[in-house]
Amino acid sequence: MLLKLEDVVLNYGKIEALHGISLEVAEGEVVALIGANGAGKTSTMRAISGVRGLSSGRITFNGEDVSKLRADQRMRKGLCLTPEGRGVFPGMTVTENLDMGAYTRKDKANIAEDFDRVFGLFPRLKERRKQVGGTMSGGEQQMLAIGRSLMSRPKLLLLDEPSMGLAPMLIQQIFSIISEIAEQGTTILVVEQNAKQALSRADRAYVLETGRIVKTGTGAALLDDPSVREAYLGVA
Amino acid sequence: MDFNALFGDLGGHTLDGLTKGSVYALVALGYTMVYGVLRLINFAHSEVFMVGTWTVLGVYTVLGADDTSGMGMVIFATLAALVAAVVASASVALAVERIAYKPLRKKNAPPLIFLITAIGCSLVLVEIFGHVLRFFFGPPFGRAPVNVPSPIQTVVLLDVGGVRITNVQVFIVVGAILMMVALDQFVNKSRLGRGVRAVAQDADTAALMGVNQDRVIMLVFVLGGAMAGVAALLYTIAFDLTKFDIGFIIGIKAFTAAVLGGIGNLRGALVGGLLLGIVEVYASTVFNSSWADVTAFIVLVLVLMFKPTGLLGESLGKARA
Repeated sequence: MLLKLEDVVLNYGKIEALHGISLEVAEGEVVALIGANGAGKTSTMRAISGVRGLSSGRITFNGEDVSKLRADQRMRKGLCLTPEGRGVFPGMTVTENLDMGAYTRKDKANIAEDFDRVFGLFPRLKERRKQVGGTMSGGEQQMLAIGRSLMSRPKLLLLDEPSMGLAPMLIQQIFSIISEIAEQGTTILVVEQNAKQALSRADRAYVLETGRIVKTGTGAALLDDPSVREAYLGVA
Repeated sequence: MDFNALFGDLGGHTLDGLTKGSVYALVALGYTMVYGVLRLINFAHSEVFMVGTWTVLGVYTVLGADDTSGMGMVIFATLAALVAAVVASASVALAVERIAYKPLRKKNAPPLIFLITAIGCSLVLVEIFGHVLRFFFGPPFGRAPVNVPSPIQTVVLLDVGGVRITNVQVFIVVGAILMMVALDQFVNKSRLGRGVRAVAQDADTAALMGVNQDRVIMLVFVLGGAMAGVAALLYTIAFDLTKFDIGFIIGIKAFTAAVLGGIGNLRGALVGGLLLGIVEVYASTVFNSSWADVTAFIVLVLVLMFKPTGLLGESLGKARA
């Protein structure tokens, strides 16, 4: 297993947001985490990336216990989160933002290659190379944030709500790029409110409800599951 | 009011203003960088400057350098004082961060606690020089002003239409601007500098990109401290004195300069510092010298009332080439 969460509990002050989450992601998989607002999707991503420390439980990445590591240390291990709301550095240009993705890398020669790869996936970013991040549209910022994460050559790419606030056409586009990234060999764990898109693209998925995992299965199976259809796909 | 005194030698007064302003600008960098990354006004920064001035005095005393020294000694003593002041100021700045602020960060203390801690650190450092060191070593430590005789003798280099430009003025203004250009380049061009800007713009995301926030914070305190050390040397060259509480007024003026330029903005610190220096010298010429400090406060109040984001008005994070 590339990533393994065992009984992860996370608190915000006295409020427990995650009540013992266990999940796994194998190498090469695309795994989706779906759930309603406030179900704990973003908290799970924060716990995995190390932005917030755990109250209890264990996270292993690539066979190594990373529970106690800071976010920047986990990132160096190959775990890269594209945060909810994108987290584009507003005062940096597109190029500088992408450079930040490669902040920890020493292999200068390959970085140019990865710039080409990202610009290939997102031609829009190439056109806007010199533009400052804060002045870009939501869709462009999302592309930039995903591109930036790719610049780190992550072993596991964590995407938190990549479709949030985007027009339907852009959502399609972002998801097809995510599929393309997966085909190129990157393992992906994606959190989504847009359950239909997420489930149809994912190999497997977990359904999160009020800080607990209530269901798991292949993307296709969950798409057909009556309770999932009713709760998350708006189909009675 | 005596406008004739001002306009009679406008060039000369402007030059004096730039000289003073250079020192303010260098000290302002420390406030602005720490604010950019931590959103904290580090009131102990004025004492980081003060420690630098005492270090300069110490180096001169040990080397026996004064205004009768030969050229070789003058250069050596000045360079030695520069290095020592930079090291001392940067060390004190880093010590304050490690001893006082870091434990607070670990506990997620609210901003007010940081502010009170900063003021506390400032008082402690002031009293170390005004009282503790005097208790152990006697004068020159204590509460009286102390002469810091710069070995550099003032020489008029140029006379441009009655405006006399001295070597000391050139040294100070050019030195300060060089330091600021170097810092600006470092922050905007280097990898570590990009890390600093990333933390200033979005600390959480910076961590997600692998930036070690703790290291960036240390770097910012060291850089700000080093700039204050340079400022300390330049100040003693211009004014030949120090005092246990010399940091207080300089600190407030540098803080004003930082706010005037736009706190968090490196280039704003330069603009704000030079502008404040000039305004202050003009005001003290038109009225009288007791107006120098009052002017700084008036500027601070006016900026806070009418343009609280300052002239350049961007944060360290957003400021870029």
